Amino acid sequence: MNRLRLWLLAVGGAGLTALLVAACPGLPRFGGRSHPYGERAVRASLDRHTANTVASVNFDQRAYDTLGEMSILFAAVLGCVVLLRQARDEHRARPEPAAVARPVRRYALIVLPVALVTGLYVVAHGQLSPGGGFQGGVVAATALHLLYLGADYGALERVRPLAVYETSDALAVCAYLVLGLAGVLAGTAFLANTLLPYGTFNTLSSGGAVPLLNAAIGMEVASAVVVLLATFLDQAVEIEEKQGS
Amino acid sequence: MNGWILAATVELAGGGAAALWGVTTGPTGRRVIAQNLATSALCPALLLLSQGYGRPSYVDLALLLALLGPVGTLVFARLLAAELERERPSAWALTWAAAGLGAVVVAAVCAATAPGRATVKLLVVGALLIGGNVIASRALSGGFQGVRGG
Amino acid sequence: MSDAVIVVALLLVAACATAAVAQRDPARQALVLSVLGLFLAVLFTVLQAPDVGLSQLAVGSALTPLLIMLSVRRTRRRGRTKEGPE
Repeated sequence: MNRLRLWLLAVGGAGLTALLVAACPGLPRFGGRSHPYGERAVRASLDRHTANTVASVNFDQRAYDTLGEMSILFAAVLGCVVLLRQARDEHRARPEPAAVARPVRRYALIVLPVALVTGLYVVAHGQLSPGGGFQGGVVAATALHLLYLGADYGALERVRPLAVYETSDALAVCAYLVLGLAGVLAGTAFLANTLLPYGTFNTLSSGGAVPLLNAAIGMEVASAVVVLLATFLDQAVEIEEKQGS
Repeated sequence: MNGWILAATVELAGGGAAALWGVTTGPTGRRVIAQNLATSALCPALLLLSQGYGRPSYVDLALLLALLGPVGTLVFARLLAAELERERPSAWALTWAAAGLGAVVVAAVCAATAPGRATVKLLVVGALLIGGNVIASRALSGGFQGVRGG
Repeated sequence: MSDAVIVVALLLVAACATAAVAQRDPARQALVLSVLGLFLAVLFTVLQAPDVGLSQLAVGSALTPLLIMLSVRRTRRRGRTKEGPE
């Protein structure tokens, strides 16, 4: 049985290698001048006054794909919460606080607000410079966990009412859907960026619906990461199996 | 290819190779130190690249790295505390050398940009980078003691 | 000549990824993985994809190590309680 599997793997691998090698000569040259898709995407993003073409592709030209990616993250976090919940034969133990050196504790408390603001900055400037909802949301969620690193888990739990983050995760997903449906109600298409004025190029309020969709994604990602890390932290720090079970 | 990109290439090759060698060999303490110094080697390279390509918005990458790199080291310092407490790894000469490198690069890029908001951003990146790395080094050499359950 | 920085970044990524696979201990693997994340971010930058580089930095520098190290701690702790209290 094992040998059969190895043979199957070898045949599949050889086939894939042959196809990839055959495809290589057909690739455009590295760093060439002709970018048919890129040129069209840049023209479309300039028409909609979005300075960052990647944001325009993600949240305007291919906003439907982003909806799919967002639901993947949502479903993955939901799965983690279900899998890592407290089982019947487990109980919670209070974690003992750790002795953290004073400079480290101070550093964590100073960097926490800086990281939060940086996260919001990255979300808000998604349509202007590299970045956007996903990157900014992850940074903001990571910032909160400086409380665990610099103080202890109890301090993090006090500023992290989990129900609020679970609700805001779901609300953010709904907000993205509602922004898409608004296009349908206005008589165009789902997630079509035609409702809002495009604004002045290269300012914070440019790009039509792109900043709003970015904000929804930022909220979704930040809440999802906080919930995800909370389930992992619970398992690593608090939940214990009953003795003798 | 201009001087900025050349400097970034040299720093990337030297600092990157050293970090890679340090992080894959030796005891755990040495590996965590190499992980910490990788941040201070690559963040200036990102600043130099942003200057070399003439794209000020690439500074955001260096900002995120200066912010989150030391946080990553704190993760290891906290969750490997039991092992690090035995080893007490410290490499202050290297840490201060890396901090000096970061300061020189930030000063050079500051001098090349017109004074204004961009300069403030660069200075914030420099402060976060140097402060973060020194504190992360401190955390590695006995910053977390008595971590049991928490 | 201007591609030298791309070649350097690609070589670093290839070497670091191989080293990450070759490690046996999960905690040490997480250390190599976080350095690999930095190299990947630089590679994306020199290939003019800063958005992808930012995603890589945001996820790879603090979030992934935290998730891996928490899982490692949980499995080690479970091993300890199975053997009995310390």
